[in-house]
Amino acid sequence: MHKWLETLDKGVVCCGWNYCGQRLVAGYIDGFVSIHDSTDPISVPSLIQSFRWKASEDVISNVIWVPPEYGDAIACVCIDGTVSLWEEVRTDDEPLSWKLCLQLEASNVQVLDLQLGVSSTSLLKMIIAYSDGHVKIYEFLDPLDLKKAQLQAEFPNVIDSVSNIRKASCVSASIAWNPRRDEIQHSTFVLGFSADLPQFNSAKIWEFDEAHQRWLPVAELALPEDKGDKVQSLAWAPNIGRPYEIIAVATWKGIAIWHVNMSSDSSSGHNSSKKVALLSDHDSEVWQLEWDMSGMTLASTGGDGMVRLWQSNLNGVWHEQAAIDCGAVQH
Amino acid sequence: MPGLLSPDGKESLVPFNLDLQKPSIHTLPHGLRPSLFRIHISWSRGNCLHVTCLRPPNEDGEGCGGKIAAVTLGGGEGGDLSDAQMRRVAYGSVPAFALLQSQKNVDIQLPRMVADTVRSQWWQHVLDYSNQIKALLGDAKYSPSSVIENPRTVLKPVGELTNLRAAWQLMEIFYADKHSLPWLPESLVDWLADYDSLISKVESTIHSKLTNLQKKLVNLQIVEDDPEYWEGISSALAVGWFDIVVKLLRLHGSYQLDQLDCRETENGLVETVAVLVSEMPRMRPNLSNGKLGQCYKSKSDFVKAWEKWRGHIAKLDCSAFWIQCANHQTRDGLKNMLQIMLGNINSITTYTCNWMELYISHFLYVRPLTAGFDGMLSLAQKCMDLKSISGSCVLTRLILGILGENTEVILAECSRTFGPWMVTHATELLTAENNEAELVLHGERYNLGGISIEELHRLVYAQILSSHTLTWQIAPTYLVSCPKQGLGFLEILLYKQPAHHYQMILKNLEICRLYELDSIGISVMKIAGMHHWKHGRKGFGIYWLQQAHDEVRLNRIANELFDCIGKSVSDDVFKQWEGLIELLGSEVGKAGGLEFLHKYRDFKRSIHLVQDKNSVDAAKSAVEFLMQLMKSPSTPQRFWLSLLHDSVKLLNWPIRPLLNVSQTNLLLNKLQELSMAKLHPGFCNTNLTSEATSSIRLALGANLGRAILEDC
Repeated sequence: MHKWLETLDKGVVCCGWNYCGQRLVAGYIDGFVSIHDSTDPISVPSLIQSFRWKASEDVISNVIWVPPEYGDAIACVCIDGTVSLWEEVRTDDEPLSWKLCLQLEASNVQVLDLQLGVSSTSLLKMIIAYSDGHVKIYEFLDPLDLKKAQLQAEFPNVIDSVSNIRKASCVSASIAWNPRRDEIQHSTFVLGFSADLPQFNSAKIWEFDEAHQRWLPVAELALPEDKGDKVQSLAWAPNIGRPYEIIAVATWKGIAIWHVNMSSDSSSGHNSSKKVALLSDHDSEVWQLEWDMSGMTLASTGGDGMVRLWQSNLNGVWHEQAAIDCGAVQH
Repeated sequence: MPGLLSPDGKESLVPFNLDLQKPSIHTLPHGLRPSLFRIHISWSRGNCLHVTCLRPPNEDGEGCGGKIAAVTLGGGEGGDLSDAQMRRVAYGSVPAFALLQSQKNVDIQLPRMVADTVRSQWWQHVLDYSNQIKALLGDAKYSPSSVIENPRTVLKPVGELTNLRAAWQLMEIFYADKHSLPWLPESLVDWLADYDSLISKVESTIHSKLTNLQKKLVNLQIVEDDPEYWEGISSALAVGWFDIVVKLLRLHGSYQLDQLDCRETENGLVETVAVLVSEMPRMRPNLSNGKLGQCYKSKSDFVKAWEKWRGHIAKLDCSAFWIQCANHQTRDGLKNMLQIMLGNINSITTYTCNWMELYISHFLYVRPLTAGFDGMLSLAQKCMDLKSISGSCVLTRLILGILGENTEVILAECSRTFGPWMVTHATELLTAENNEAELVLHGERYNLGGISIEELHRLVYAQILSSHTLTWQIAPTYLVSCPKQGLGFLEILLYKQPAHHYQMILKNLEICRLYELDSIGISVMKIAGMHHWKHGRKGFGIYWLQQAHDEVRLNRIANELFDCIGKSVSDDVFKQWEGLIELLGSEVGKAGGLEFLHKYRDFKRSIHLVQDKNSVDAAKSAVEFLMQLMKSPSTPQRFWLSLLHDSVKLLNWPIRPLLNVSQTNLLLNKLQELSMAKLHPGFCNTNLTSEATSSIRLALGANLGRAILEDC
């Protein structure tokens, strides 16, 4: 059962929904960004474009909503490596409009992925994955204003520090915050690359060590023989009470489902993880993985033009429950 | 929802057909040509998935660049009920479900001795619950008696709602209604009388035969000459619809006054059969109005009566009166009826249309004392061999699941045909004093994340409810009955509700309060506060942030106000911010900025009240506030001059000086400090003119002189 909500203008490259699925942001090839709002304050009968502005001189490659505790704001990633944050504000002098809060200028490397999350200390954090296999983590110290971001850390996605010597060349990256909204839980995220150097690729869980104020790799989601596999996409399932976390990681071999026990053996800094399934129906690149709100259903999209929905049965066996055929895809 | 299948179909708890494993494929006809560049997905609330199809961005040509669809997955079952009907049922079943859960919670807290007694009577609570749910699913649409009483009445088509009800009632008979267990066969006779029309959609049933006969009866002059009349009577007799049988018999032509004389024997035979039918012994406690038969509660009494009754039938069968009956159609028809009543397998097989009718016939005439699921299952299989139904009927599958005592099959059937609503609610029936089902449904499973199958089904149902704006509000009732993961789910559900709409926020917060979800309530209030603050509704913003006790943001807001007021301290600017300062209240922290703002507000108010020389009290309190402000280290230096300027009228108070020598000296020192500070590069100048500064200096000097004189 489907219902069409809105059409987007020509040249649209990327889009993103806000926390409640009522607002959509779309990024365009000509550097424009558009905001589309639901025509109803509660349900989403259809969308209507409310704002459109030029956010960049170059192609917008990704648009992400900032967590709602920071207002209605978006982060735009430009293909030239610029990251800009925009927020919707109304002042006494001006009507409601989108204003630039922050612009992180382009460096020599491309931005491959960006994710925003609220840390256990209620600070907004922004992780940016670059094409050299490194991530930068920024912290926004002012909860009322997104104008100032402080670089908290920068490191490559490798466990062995010797690998730092060489810089990788990556074509894609995927970051997922641990969605658990728990103050006891440390800030954790999982990161994987598609890089020319194998040690950068595998998905690794990074946890912030408050005592030493640094990020540590606490788990690697790859079997020994798969460690060099390029990660196409990954997603961390919401945990509504399971004793373990579930993370989906897509490589050319398929979508691996991992169970990760975050609390076990924390003294050694490593968590136990177990690959419980490998789902391989897409037969092409996996573009995106998304867990539903209960973490029971995984949706994936891929180069075969399908949206596939995966679930586990009562015996813990994962299978494809349904699929949505979106038609032919340009290769 | 999590499926019940495993890839090879062997490990599965439910041995389903392997064909069912193929995922259902839904096509999204977006019409974007010639091909797609990307597909973007995002889960909305519940099981609603937003799918965005994007064309290659640099491609020319007609049409748009992308299309967005909301795809609702699963949960659309409910036996083909319309969305509105399903919502009505969903809303209606909440009170019954909630009541049963609260009764469960009460029972858990009872002392052991009492609890054992209460638990043994638990099924009565479940039966009440079942009756409430059943009432929501509508009345049994078909009452066989109405066929005859109103021959011209065309039967209303039986809707899908009845199918759901039929399944529910079937489960009630087997699981909840422990009273009826000793007379289970008779309960099934009643069940078939209500739902026979649902057994087969394509093939005829006794119900459809009688419907056709009813139409025909209107135009028939001599009913007994029509074979369909006798076939209808025999069929109705085969499944125990005795009221219909007797009424049909009494339409016999021999009852007409003008024929009584010549057809006396024939009429006598018809009437005797009618009496025998209406006096058939039934192994049940009672019969509803209009239903015929003699009820027996005790097995021995029933057996005696049954033997006697059959003796009468056998005697009648051998009677010489048959020879005197001239109408061979009447004779054959009545004889057939006797054979049915004597349990002749060929006769009952001939006059029933499907295995279920034959099954019921066996209970009535062949094995009225059948008991135990094993015996009932083997009889069912025997009947199915004799009269199978083409096509698969959900009710048939359900009965077989029940008789096979296979909880998973029953749940799978309910889920597949009627959706998560049925599974969630029927679980209560299945586990009513049924240890085996309880073990299956309540056992915690690691594969499911440490939850039971019962909890899993409730979560799945809550997810379906969460997808719709009209039903998400009832999801919490089901989630709080999930001991392990319900509240975690509820937190995410509440976080994903739009927090901009006032009524919506109130609703969310009410749910948070009810289930003690403080942290999520705080998040909701923070989101609302920030949204309003950023959208220019500053008062609303502060209100929600205050409710969230978000000191960090409130202090930050206080500092922002402080900066705004500091830029220009005219009365107009102050008025603009006064309301917000008021809202910020005094409860929020002791941040310097906020403390100053409150004292500044109090000072300003007192100064406004000082209108003439009579308002001496207001003037005194203004002096008090002034001194507090000037002494406080949190009062920023840039405010000093404007405070002093506002105080000139206090310094020039006509009757007597309001400030004593030390107070005046303090103010003079502050003025001196300001003069020195002007030389520093970072000094923030105010808009006051040099004349204003001079007037302050003059007023301070004059006041000092008067104060010294006063002291003397």
